[in-house]
Amino acid sequence: MTVPVALEVRRLTVSYNARPVLWDVDAAFPAAALSAIVGPNGAGKSTLLRAALGLVASDSGQALIQGRPVRSALGRVAYVPQRDAVDWDFPITVREVVEMGRYRQTGWVRRVARSDRMLVEDCLERVGMRPYATRQIGALSGGQRQRVFLARALCQQAPVLVMDEPFAGVDARTEASLLGLLSELRDTEGRSVIVVHHDLATARSAFDWALVLNVRAVACGPVSEALTAATLRRAYGAVTTDAPGEQEDLWTT
Amino acid sequence: MDHLIELIPLPYTDAVVALGAAILGITAGVLGAFAVLRGRSLVGDALAHSALPGVAIAFIVTGAKDTGSLLVGAGVAGIVAALLMVGIEQTSRIRPDAAIGVVLSSFFSLGIVLLTYIADLNNASQAGLDTYLFGQAAGLLERDVALMGALSLASLVVVAVLFRPFKVTLFDPSFASSVGLRVRVLEITMTTLIVVAVIVGVRAVGAILMVALLIAPTVAARQLTGRLGRMLVLAGVIGAAVGVSGALVSMRAEVPTGPVIVLVAFGTVLLCLLLAPGRGVLWRAGKLRRDRRRARNEGVLVDLDTAVHAGPPPTERELAQLSGRPRREILRGLRDLHRTGMLERDGDRIFLSGAGAGAAHGVHERRHLWTLWLEHGAELDLPDAREPDPHDLRASLGDEHTERLFALGTWRPPSP
Repeated sequence: MTVPVALEVRRLTVSYNARPVLWDVDAAFPAAALSAIVGPNGAGKSTLLRAALGLVASDSGQALIQGRPVRSALGRVAYVPQRDAVDWDFPITVREVVEMGRYRQTGWVRRVARSDRMLVEDCLERVGMRPYATRQIGALSGGQRQRVFLARALCQQAPVLVMDEPFAGVDARTEASLLGLLSELRDTEGRSVIVVHHDLATARSAFDWALVLNVRAVACGPVSEALTAATLRRAYGAVTTDAPGEQEDLWTT
Repeated sequence: MDHLIELIPLPYTDAVVALGAAILGITAGVLGAFAVLRGRSLVGDALAHSALPGVAIAFIVTGAKDTGSLLVGAGVAGIVAALLMVGIEQTSRIRPDAAIGVVLSSFFSLGIVLLTYIADLNNASQAGLDTYLFGQAAGLLERDVALMGALSLASLVVVAVLFRPFKVTLFDPSFASSVGLRVRVLEITMTTLIVVAVIVGVRAVGAILMVALLIAPTVAARQLTGRLGRMLVLAGVIGAAVGVSGALVSMRAEVPTGPVIVLVAFGTVLLCLLLAPGRGVLWRAGKLRRDRRRARNEGVLVDLDTAVHAGPPPTERELAQLSGRPRREILRGLRDLHRTGMLERDGDRIFLSGAGAGAAHGVHERRHLWTLWLEHGAELDLPDAREPDPHDLRASLGDEHTERLFALGTWRPPSP
């Protein structure tokens, strides 16, 4: 029996100015699971997502979303970029940002239909941002901004959710509540979530699947198998102090 | 067109100029927003300056001062300049601002050289080409205005049709391409629209100062609204108002139109920057002053409360010593507190009044709540994404959650 796959990259190589950022990466993320991509700075975590979605050109390799080439599967994936990639002083309200998630379906010119507007309200409600729908986005805190981004992705109603560092610079309360929401999406709707993540502790506790990346794919599998002292040492090189009890054998090698 | 001009209660030539200025104001105001929002205001400047050699070359080629062909020249030169800027940026390690500077100055220099060459030709029809430098609204003919109107209308239709793709691309280009938008094509379209705005305006405002009319309306409008659609409309209205008033004043005063329009635009921007509610400099300065004063008064109040509890009512000097604040700050705080009836004086000894004691208690409670929030906030199951206001946690959390927070604060884990 084969497990259904949400996102798969095969032999992906990407380079910036002839320097490889990703080298021959093979990875697959299962459907209806929370997957984390971890690795040191400059490991190519964000680039992997961006290349998989065709946002940056890759030298070779291919990416499949639910078994289809990305170009024909854009409607099946919702992408949440890094928060600081946008201008937060842009003249736009919370509701308008979330509405962007509907444009692909409603068309780029037509009026947003009543059912789409209801869906927007619903998504705002799920991330707890409904009271702030008419706020200008510049007036939001970092956590609230991340919630708005997630609401926009929810609105796309895509089975695969891909998020770039959603928890960087976000307060603990927001992180906990967003993680809760993501697991709920997995459990009740069977959605697949793939997150670039930097915190190995929550990667272990809250996620099902992990890809350890450092330009090459070091390990990819269930967190218990992928996030071991050996793989982390191979990815991070130096000692990672985050796993108590595993430090000893790091020093002895 | 005749109809429109007749509607304006001005003499015929004035009416033509006013209509032309209104059209160029709307166009530059709306289309300029795309340069400003992309953080590429100076691209607009470079495109405007590059119109000059375009106009000169078109005149040399056609030998006639026909507005239509001159503007085609300006447009072609603008597009060439835009391609050059992108090319320099992408093929070398030169930063965008440097690329803009190089293209702007070289195109403008070429324009000046060509204009000088044309002036030496002693061709009778060349007189007046130099109005493209600083602009002259007075010479606008009905024909010119009709052409400007057509261009303007076409570009505004493009903006209306592509409003959502533009909005998404401007705000979040990565997201835009992830939902299948052709971001590169959209960006090229936006640049082309700015070229169109330059073409519409360069005759009346001039190549050198055109950039002001592209930027100023958006800057002013941004102060007044936080929504893109409204901002575009407002920028158009402000652009039109600035254009018409500037053009009419410059005709009366017989000075070039460009500088007058720019001065009017500058005045508008200044007013909006200073006075806009919520974003204006004065509004923010006022808020900052109120916040600081409140923090100071609360601090002095708490110091006084502490002193009164610790011993006999202090004098001003003792209070200053005790609190470690600068004496001037203490004096100002005490003055404010006295004025609001928070304290009483007996000789130079200071007491808290009943109201003052109550207020001090309130401050203590708020500080305590804030500490509790920092410690236990994550355990509080809030219904939405509210962020508490440190100054008034109770109001932003609601009574129920405040009580819950107090309860969390008193609860201790049983010792093993």
